[in-house]
Amino acid sequence: MIAVLGVVLASAASAVGDVLSSEAMYQSAMRFAIVLAFAAAGEWVAERAGTLNISIEAMMIGGAYASAVAFGAFDIVPLALLVGVLAGVVVALVQAHLSHQLSIDQFVVGLTLNLFVLGLALFLDSKWEAVTSVVKPTRLPVLHDIPVVGEALFGQPWPMYLIVPVVPLAWWLVFRTRWGLEIRSVGDNPQSADVSGIHVNRRRRESIMVAGAFAGLGGGVLVLGQISIAGYESGHVGLKGIIAIAAVIFGGWTLRGTLMGCVLFGYFFALQQTLPVLGYRINAQLAASLPYLVALLVTAVFATRTRQPRALAQPFVRGLT
Amino acid sequence: MGFGGEGAGATALAPAVGLRGVTKRYGPVVACAGVDLELMPGEVHGILGENGAGKSTLMKILIGLVQPDEGSIELGGRDVVIHDPQTAAALGIGMVHQHLSLVEALTVWENVLLGDASRFDRSAARRQVMETAEHYGLEIDPDRRVGDLSAGLRQRVELIKCLRRDPKILILDEPTSVLTPGESEQLFTTLRDVVAAEQRAVALVSHKLAEILHATDRITIMRQGRVVERSRTVEATASSLATAMVGRHVNLRSSAAALGVTDLVDDERLRAEREAAAAAAAVAARPVVLDIDRARVVHDGVAVLDDLSIQVRAGEIVGVAGVEGNGQRELGDLLSSLVTLDSGSVVVNGRSARTGRAGCMAELGIGVIPEDRHDSGCVLDLSVAENLVLDRIGSVARLGLVDRKRMRARALELMREFDIQAAGPDAPFGSLSGGNQQRVVLARELGHDPTVLVAAQPTRGLDVGAIEYMSGRLRAAADSGIAVLLVSTELEEILELSDRIVVMSRGRVIGELDRAEATSERLGLLLGGVGDDHDRSRGDAA
Repeated sequence: MIAVLGVVLASAASAVGDVLSSEAMYQSAMRFAIVLAFAAAGEWVAERAGTLNISIEAMMIGGAYASAVAFGAFDIVPLALLVGVLAGVVVALVQAHLSHQLSIDQFVVGLTLNLFVLGLALFLDSKWEAVTSVVKPTRLPVLHDIPVVGEALFGQPWPMYLIVPVVPLAWWLVFRTRWGLEIRSVGDNPQSADVSGIHVNRRRRESIMVAGAFAGLGGGVLVLGQISIAGYESGHVGLKGIIAIAAVIFGGWTLRGTLMGCVLFGYFFALQQTLPVLGYRINAQLAASLPYLVALLVTAVFATRTRQPRALAQPFVRGLT
Repeated sequence: MGFGGEGAGATALAPAVGLRGVTKRYGPVVACAGVDLELMPGEVHGILGENGAGKSTLMKILIGLVQPDEGSIELGGRDVVIHDPQTAAALGIGMVHQHLSLVEALTVWENVLLGDASRFDRSAARRQVMETAEHYGLEIDPDRRVGDLSAGLRQRVELIKCLRRDPKILILDEPTSVLTPGESEQLFTTLRDVVAAEQRAVALVSHKLAEILHATDRITIMRQGRVVERSRTVEATASSLATAMVGRHVNLRSSAAALGVTDLVDDERLRAEREAAAAAAAVAARPVVLDIDRARVVHDGVAVLDDLSIQVRAGEIVGVAGVEGNGQRELGDLLSSLVTLDSGSVVVNGRSARTGRAGCMAELGIGVIPEDRHDSGCVLDLSVAENLVLDRIGSVARLGLVDRKRMRARALELMREFDIQAAGPDAPFGSLSGGNQQRVVLARELGHDPTVLVAAQPTRGLDVGAIEYMSGRLRAAADSGIAVLLVSTELEEILELSDRIVVMSRGRVIGELDRAEATSERLGLLLGGVGDDHDRSRGDAA
């Protein structure tokens, strides 16, 4: 299976040699990767605590739409991003309390939320005007002149750079705080955590809040730093939340691996966008399905072999045992 | 680190903790009925009882995992309500859990810190772990992953975790169930120090008589949720304790398995062994029925079965002894067709099993009484009759539909033969007592004349009467020519029933003994082979 994946990757890259030297390709891949990384960092925290949080998609959609509306109303980017964070947290509150307080199946809650928030955003869009806009890129002097990758790494709109504090923050939370220790314990062995005196479901709810905040921010960055079409469209998030989950699985539940997964998927999203621009004729539907096809392969290969949190996706109810 | 405050003289009179009239019901079942219990500082208090006597529930009440329906808890002279484990910890109550409270994915120091409320400081935590470890002579490397440690070392971590919080009251729930005899001895030595030098109160919960007699100062015996006897350990004898625990006079030899007192019945045992030796000679001439040859199963990069070879002859009971978690469960799973072999083979009467296919072992005539009857032995929501025919539904079906009449007739037949007490064949399986549930599983597996019977921990969780019945049935099965493989962590049960004993450690057979040469001491030494290993890893850690 790994071999199959390798072949797909290699052929995709080598068949189009000039893609590798295209600055636009790297620029685009980096933007996709960063947007994915916000959601994936949040998802990673939630999964380390034992929730396979598929409503990460809804959290991104909520963040994206709310940010766009707030930007349309106030025209202040930081404020719009903050509103996006809040929207993500609101979705997270619903997911967290339904799945880890009322003990409703987390997948049922997640699927329902994904569809509900998608529809809600479309419905509200007819009332409140949402405005997306790419903030003018901040070019770091000298560095952004590095050939090929300079523009991608050092010439992004400023909201993109929020990923720089967010990723270390996620790592620090999980590995350097008592809260993080408890998060990891409830994700791996909730019974042991419980008898050790840890509020298992409270910690899991909190981890979902963190996921909501990060994914909401990711949604905001998406509409204010990447999407250049005016107006909000339902396809903006377009299952990027689900791809973020695939990135966590690809990364074997390590943060570093998760980020590598984001880069991988970002590359395929960019490929789909860049190939036509470079003059390659490729079936648009096929190109659009590429990232999801790779995600399917990745989850099939990695989901079973890596060390996942042992209690992932298992609800915790204090029993008689 | 000491238990501060009052001196030893004063505390000899005041109990560290007192339970008054504690009652806990689960539906119609009364787990604890008006229990009074006092733990004294500076004493090890043994709480003895059969499985299901209410010992564990009582301890869970003390630690805040279970809320009592009635009764009060008095701590240091005032009434307290223990809502949750955090409250218990704040009140100075610590517990070493039967199924440890450790998280495998975390390191030793992270586990020790888990559940604390103090500031999160990595280096201070590691230092404290090492200090506590040194103080009690429990050496450990704070940076190892707990998942990589042996059962004995894990319990050491658990003990350190508990002691670091300086508890006034320390509860140990069946602490030796995963330990070798050597490790158990070491544990009790540590406990002595903790109690004598630091005036802590210790509650030792166990169903093993020998352990209670050896390690405690005072004994409370529970039966069916009630306290039936209290005595000082020096005044108690094994037979008086056994009688109180079971509620009737017991034949120590036939019940030794349940009570853990084989060494008390040496004379009778010697006689039995001589008879057994003669029988064993006859068995040795019979053909090999079950032949497991270099079976290897790798899971997560660890060989859970490592070139395991076991042969069982017709009419022979082979006991597989070993400390829990050394591949016994995987052996049971293999013979239940749940596991695919990476290499090696399982052959029954010359026919090789295609492992990994559902039902491949049953096709060859292997019947299994699984380790956890609720998990893999039966379906709680189905009726007794349905459970009895579950694996051979074809035998009571007509035209692809279940013939309920034939099913009930077959069920009634088996219920008579195996003396299953139930309201009827349509009674829900979940309404049966543990002993009767186990009989249903036994009846089903013996019902279609297996050539091999695998019994994995067949008496776990059963009362003495049910254990006697089960032992008799296994013996009878062997006498009728079935090859019986008995997998058990209870040494006494193994010694009681087996014609031949193999000792398993880390997925391998590390020793084999004939009935005639097997004593609990020799078996203990063989199990101690694990102990040697464990000492080496201690050396590494230091």
